[in-house]
Amino acid sequence: MRRARKGALAALGVLYLSAICAGFLAPYDPAAQDRDLAFSPPSRLHVLGTDGFGRDQFSRLLYGARISLLAGPLGAAISIAGALLLGGAAGFFGGWIDSLIMRAAELFLAVPWFYLLFAVRMMMPLRVEPAQAFLMILSLVALVGWARPARLIRGVVLSARTRDYVVAARSLGASNVHLLRKHVLPQVTGVVSTQAALLAPQYILAEATLSFFGLGVGEPVPSWGNMLTVLQRYDVLSSYWWMFMPAAALVTTILLYSMLAETVHDWPAVR
Amino acid sequence: MTRRRALLALAAGALACTYTLSAAPQTAAAPEWLVTRSDVGRPGGQLVVIERAEPRTLNPVTAVDAPSKEVIARTTADLIHFDRETQQPQPALARSWTVSPDGRHFTLSLRHGIRFSDGEPFDADDVLFSFRVYQDEKVGSPQRDQLIVGEKPIAVRKIDPYTVQVDLAEPYAVGERLFDSLAMLPRHLLERPYTEGRLPQVWGLGTPPQALAGLGPFRLREHVAGQRMVLERNPFYWKTDRAGNHLPYLDRLVFTFVPSEDAQAVRFQSGEADVTTRLSAANFDVLFRDGGGRNYDLLDLGPGLDYTFLFFNQNSVAADAPAPVARTRAWFRQLAFRQAVSLAIDREAIVRLVYKGRAAPLWGHVPPGNKLWVNRTLVRPPRSVEQARARLRMAGFSWNAAGMLMDRDGQPVAFTIVTNTGNTERNQIATIIQDDLRQLGIAVSVATLELRALLDRLLNTHDYEACVLGLGGSDGDPFNEMNVWLSSGGTHLWNPGQPRPGTTWEAEIDTLMRRQLVIRDTQERKRLYDRVQALVAENLPIISLVSPNVLVGVTKGLGNLRPTIFDHHALWNVEELFWRGRPSGAAR
Amino acid sequence: MPAVRYLLVRIGHGLLVLLGVSLLSFLLAAAAPGTFADELRLDPRVSPETIAAMQARYGVNRPIAEQYFLWLRSIGRGEFGFSVIYNGPVGPLLWPRVRNTLLLAVPATILAWLIAIPIGAWAAAGRGGWLDRLTIAATTVVVGIPEIVLGVGLLLIAVRTGYFPTGGMTSLDFDELGAWEKMRDVLSHFFLPVAALALISLPVLVRHVRASLVEVLRSPFIQAARATGVPERRLLFRHALRVGVNPLISLVGLSVAGLLSASLVIETIMSWPGLGPFMLDAVMARDLHVVVAAVICSTVLLIAGNLCADGLLYLADPRIRIGRFP
Repeated sequence: MRRARKGALAALGVLYLSAICAGFLAPYDPAAQDRDLAFSPPSRLHVLGTDGFGRDQFSRLLYGARISLLAGPLGAAISIAGALLLGGAAGFFGGWIDSLIMRAAELFLAVPWFYLLFAVRMMMPLRVEPAQAFLMILSLVALVGWARPARLIRGVVLSARTRDYVVAARSLGASNVHLLRKHVLPQVTGVVSTQAALLAPQYILAEATLSFFGLGVGEPVPSWGNMLTVLQRYDVLSSYWWMFMPAAALVTTILLYSMLAETVHDWPAVR
Repeated sequence: MTRRRALLALAAGALACTYTLSAAPQTAAAPEWLVTRSDVGRPGGQLVVIERAEPRTLNPVTAVDAPSKEVIARTTADLIHFDRETQQPQPALARSWTVSPDGRHFTLSLRHGIRFSDGEPFDADDVLFSFRVYQDEKVGSPQRDQLIVGEKPIAVRKIDPYTVQVDLAEPYAVGERLFDSLAMLPRHLLERPYTEGRLPQVWGLGTPPQALAGLGPFRLREHVAGQRMVLERNPFYWKTDRAGNHLPYLDRLVFTFVPSEDAQAVRFQSGEADVTTRLSAANFDVLFRDGGGRNYDLLDLGPGLDYTFLFFNQNSVAADAPAPVARTRAWFRQLAFRQAVSLAIDREAIVRLVYKGRAAPLWGHVPPGNKLWVNRTLVRPPRSVEQARARLRMAGFSWNAAGMLMDRDGQPVAFTIVTNTGNTERNQIATIIQDDLRQLGIAVSVATLELRALLDRLLNTHDYEACVLGLGGSDGDPFNEMNVWLSSGGTHLWNPGQPRPGTTWEAEIDTLMRRQLVIRDTQERKRLYDRVQALVAENLPIISLVSPNVLVGVTKGLGNLRPTIFDHHALWNVEELFWRGRPSGAAR
Repeated sequence: MPAVRYLLVRIGHGLLVLLGVSLLSFLLAAAAPGTFADELRLDPRVSPETIAAMQARYGVNRPIAEQYFLWLRSIGRGEFGFSVIYNGPVGPLLWPRVRNTLLLAVPATILAWLIAIPIGAWAAAGRGGWLDRLTIAATTVVVGIPEIVLGVGLLLIAVRTGYFPTGGMTSLDFDELGAWEKMRDVLSHFFLPVAALALISLPVLVRHVRASLVEVLRSPFIQAARATGVPERRLLFRHALRVGVNPLISLVGLSVAGLLSASLVIETIMSWPGLGPFMLDAVMARDLHVVVAAVICSTVLLIAGNLCADGLLYLADPRIRIGRFP
């Protein structure tokens, strides 16, 4: 396990480093169009092939990593932070707090927030720095997305705090903070790490939905999300297999994160 | 003896007369069918057509969306119909008509003995009723605007049960086109709702087929919500072929709803549908390539009537507008700037990359597919970045050390192109333009907005810089686009609703368009419209880019198929279509 | 009985939430630019006056508060609002589509759970082993592919193999089929969409089952049971699962609601006549009442799901049942 953890950390480090040094590593400008070589398969000239405008996929993958490697974990972190706070409070304190927060969660889950995105788009000027705007929108979406993980966390916290030893500890005079830290939170790590591993890729892929409202990363800036939406076209899906590379990159990143999360999960056992 | 026999003969004769007279049909004369000149086919079978969305209503008066109109067009008929192949007016419900020399009065003689799909007879009262409904302001039909000539609604009078007279306030160039696709409504079914003021609410989706009636080749048989609409042959249809067989040949016409373009290609490829008319170039190529063992034909009908273009915001700026807005607007209003942009755009790349070669590059707004109206003498300057730079230099622009374009005041030239999200082709075009203009040192960003949000910006708030959009369709006659070219028009996209034309060339276009609307001489109209095209190509209010080809897929074996670039590409003569060889259509 | 009282209180809360959701939806919808008649604005043959008249006739430019009260009144009349684009009451348009979506969502949920529990359990039991690694890798791959790509991919398989119909819910000759054949027809049409939806929900379920069971398998009582010789399989499914089921129950409550958003994409791509594409179309066409009605439907499902989940939680975890906690 230790070796795997070191390996995962190193691999992630390499990934983030390549994203940061994309300007150095990328063989081509990600926006440069070589119109005679549109949709050409991997070759010596273009290691991972080209897209519909003849832009080098490998370079776009590297530059796209900058946005996606930030967007995914950022969105997941924001959602989970909110969920921990609210879901934890609901489960821990119970009673009317629980009721209120859970009803609010239902509200947040049900209301069509896409209308809010229309409003945001209207308020934004047309010309915005694409990456910044996208990250801002994503944070907004993540903020609104606290409800689902909150319900899960609340359930776990609820049953954790009713465990015998917690009841016992409380009757011995332990403070809430102590109870939270020692007994309740460790139970929650399982749910949290699972949610994190599932939310991060969802936020990267959420760009497809955001683009519908005009809130995605604008052309020609690449991100793994917008590189993958082109696959929904029948002709691309059936003819150009190399366009799947961003999915491979995404899956690899998430796997590496999962492996790290596993070790975090192990932490309470090392008592 | 003879007298008795004579009396008997007389009585018999009288009896015979009474008998024959009482057995004669109710209507005064025998029905007058229209005899088509197409091949004689065989009856039977069904045709399955892919439709991109479910129709929202079956009410011809209020239908605004394309799927509704397409289905309704198969169940209704008009007075005079334009043959989509020859573009000539043909008698339809009107068996003949005369036009007064000044072009202001049409006298239409209706066919006798025609019945609606429920068996009720059709006559001039239905025609009068139909026009009254379409023109009623309270009903608010979108077709009302097309029945206003010379700023007055046209007047329709009944001369006798089979003759109507239509009077226009001024001569109307297109004359007979007024009547094309204007569905004649059944008075016996719709008069009651109309007088009760609920006409727009009737004939919606849940209406049982018995409550509907029309004069088209088919009538509604069944509607399966969200999936398909099944039409069946109208037994009372008024057309026959040369051999005297009643049309239509097909038993059933099925419209199946497939919302996603890629799913449409798959559905057609699997053989579950017979006709698809909205193939994208990319899917067309996939179907072509995958064609091994195929039993469908893929038809590239050449450039259609649609044209895609880039235009800049040329609305006048409010006095208190922020400086950057005023600055960008000033660039856009300079002809040299627009010319430079037009010179720098690689139209061939757009045709090749976005449409896989199945499109025509445009330098004027009338595409080559519009054979009757296109101005072939327009100059088509080849792409040249150097010439573009020269134009910019002459207009006072310059480049800084990094190669970015600066205007006269040293500000960098940058703007945003907006386009709508639903259309992948336009997004790709915007990306290509973005790269092309990068070579001029202009920093272009691309923003996609959902359609209504986009229209709000374009037409209400005028809060945009440049836009890639498309127009076209209908029949290619300039009278359809009056509102685009008139400076006061609502679709005069770059600067709509001007109280007075803002530039001399817009004023000239106004005059030309108004004139061509009231002249009946086609050659003179062409000359006037040629000049409009030349003015547009010179002054570039819109920078025409490309006109996509019309791509149609049809199962093999359909007889009398005469696909055209005009709507409806494959079904405009649906009553003549028949299956050669197999008795039925799609497999399942 | 306290349970009945609890139920009534929850239903009361539910109605409040519904009211809140409807109000918020109306307010947010006011933020969306454009109206239903805008489709005509790009048609040069229609004048702006006609469009304005159309908008006035349907009252879409009236103040939002007024529109909201009119809508409430329409609910009272049982119409559930008036669709401006279909020119008729929303109710008859909505119910068949809700039924069709549930027809997909419910079997997909059940299928997903039936697959997720064993896989998650075995992965948890063999933690760190090859099955566990494979499970994590496979679920990550599925999560990494956008839903719409999954849908188009399945369509591709359908057309290439010819085993499945390429969309829709019933075949063209549905009416002429016998009862048994009708069922087979619907089943063949619904196989791919249900498979797609189940596949999309699997990663979440599998991972949570696994995480929760890993937790439980570490606890002392399991060690004790193992020491007394209880076979591994019984340990896993009988003992561990029962304890580890807690977060899973909350997931069930969220499952159907979560599926509704995934089903939007799958229904569109597979031309399944469900709520998803209908609502999407209404949003794009700015048909306010349809959107709000669809939102209310999904909220009701969500509330019902959460209610069931809380009820199950109550039943499953005896400690919660005790009532007030210290």
